[in-house]
Amino acid sequence: MTILGDLDALSFVPWIRRHAAKLGLSQAISHTSSQRIELEVAGPVDLIDMMELGCSLGPFDVWVETIHRTPVDGGGDQVRDRPS
Amino acid sequence: MPARTPVGPIALWRSQSGRAAASADRCPHRGMRLSHGFVRGEALSCIYHGWSYARAGNCLRIPAHPGLAPPETIRVPTHEVEECDGVIWVAVGEATAQPPRLQGVVPLRSLTAHAAVAAIEAAAGAKAGVDGFAWQPQSKLQIRLLLVPQGAEETLIHVLLDDDSSLSQRIAASRAVETLRRTAEDLETKATAP
Amino acid sequence: MTHDAMIDEWYPVGLFSQLDTNARKTALMGRPIEVAVEAEGHARVTSGDGRSLPVCVRYGHVWSSLGKPQKDLFAIPEADQPGRTLVDVGVIRVRCSPLRAVENFLDIAHFPFVHTDILGAEPHTEVQDYKVEVRQDADEVWATQVKFYQPQAAKSASGGITTEYMYRVPAPTCCVLYKTCPPRPGEWDVITLFVQPLAEDLCDVWPWMALFDDATPMTDLIHFQQTIFLQDRSILENQIPRLLPLDPGMEIPTRADLTSVAYRRWLKRHNYTYGAQLVAQ
Ligand code: FES
Ligand SMILES: [Fe+2]
Repeated sequence: MTILGDLDALSFVPWIRRHAAKLGLSQAISHTSSQRIELEVAGPVDLIDMMELGCSLGPFDVWVETIHRTPVDGGGDQVRDRPS
Repeated sequence: MPARTPVGPIALWRSQSGRAAASADRCPHRGMRLSHGFVRGEALSCIYHGWSYARAGNCLRIPAHPGLAPPETIRVPTHEVEECDGVIWVAVGEATAQPPRLQGVVPLRSLTAHAAVAAIEAAAGAKAGVDGFAWQPQSKLQIRLLLVPQGAEETLIHVLLDDDSSLSQRIAASRAVETLRRTAEDLETKATAP
Repeated sequence: MTHDAMIDEWYPVGLFSQLDTNARKTALMGRPIEVAVEAEGHARVTSGDGRSLPVCVRYGHVWSSLGKPQKDLFAIPEADQPGRTLVDVGVIRVRCSPLRAVENFLDIAHFPFVHTDILGAEPHTEVQDYKVEVRQDADEVWATQVKFYQPQAAKSASGGITTEYMYRVPAPTCCVLYKTCPPRPGEWDVITLFVQPLAEDLCDVWPWMALFDDATPMTDLIHFQQTIFLQDRSILENQIPRLLPLDPGMEIPTRADLTSVAYRRWLKRHNYTYGAQLVAQ
């Protein structure tokens, strides 16, 4: 999952971890910068949808422009791009 | 039903099999008060979108997505509940002991006083412990009162009476506690008046 | 973008048909205002400090603003379509954020539980995927292809049908709902929710309708809609927090909440925060 936008807030990464934990999803964040956060999320597709939806709003000091999803080998995820 | 504890409002409910349960009064989906929900079987459902929760707090069903098995991690915080001698006890945080036993008494009624616990204690001339206090407003009338603070200004008073009390004793006890409430509220007003 | 981006928007402040020269005393975003219709038929809105506020009359209501509206009030072309019955439903006061009232109106997943046996019924609880977009030209949130099984979708409906909906948010506290119209396939009934923000946690809700239904008496149409909104009120006054969270950190949105999330994103983007909670708690 790639999150793009104005993400220049320290609050976002812990926020993402908390939200994933609430949904029972395992996550590994592989890249963070002020415009892009990349993470791998594993779990049922309905729950990954919920993860994407939560992140698209995120904490108030963050603006998420788009979230791209690409399936990872062995993952049950499907592509569901939702440009905003 | 809604109830108040020192750590916030809770939803108190009884499952179909008769077991009492308590959870935070806020649905984790979009914040509806769970005390407005409905009980079906052993689960409490939120009245807004019908998400249902087990007594242990885990979400069992999300009706908008019937195919989804909610993970264990979607849950509402719960409180430990014990029911004994006709009284439901809710633990705030980790319970360290069993609730006190109140043998030989039966619950009579509960009422709310617009007064702090201290004012009621002063009006009754007694100090409440974990098992409340015994109060004898007249001879032959032995009442046990349990006081639960409801915020800083209100107190919920649970009234218990000997289980062999006669009807007239029960009426007298009820009146006595109402008088106690008035006295405590007067004390409270005097104490807070400028 | 300033903090009070919502100050320059139009808000409903009364039903034109119910106003006269005696001023209706009400409030807008925490300020007292007075609304009157003068003898010659002009609506007048005055702020507490005697200032004349901008006014327009549209869709049965008088609209005003504490600021300087940059645009005309949004258009509802169907309002002028011949053959429609226009229904002034009246006002319902709700102790909640004006934004919460709109969000609830955009929500279909609650139909089986809140409007049981009218707009929904178990076991028909599933929310099928639908489309949500922000239309850039008009800068409005749209949800389309929303379908839901309804036991009695409208006063004119008898028996259950799958109803299709479209939702449109043209202003921060207004929502227009288009809904399949049982007596006229191919046309949409229009039901709107115009919300007057009295304070951040208190609002007057003014539903209004433009329907193809000449069979049902007006009072029944009004009653039907009022029943629905009173059911919604019992929810709206019992949600925690009272303000609308723009950070879902204490919530769990699902795909069924897509419209709600899009609406909140749109509010956030425009800094429409009157009635919003910025930090989840
Ligand atoms: S708020 Fe409880 S189910 Fe949606
Ligand atoms: Fe509703």
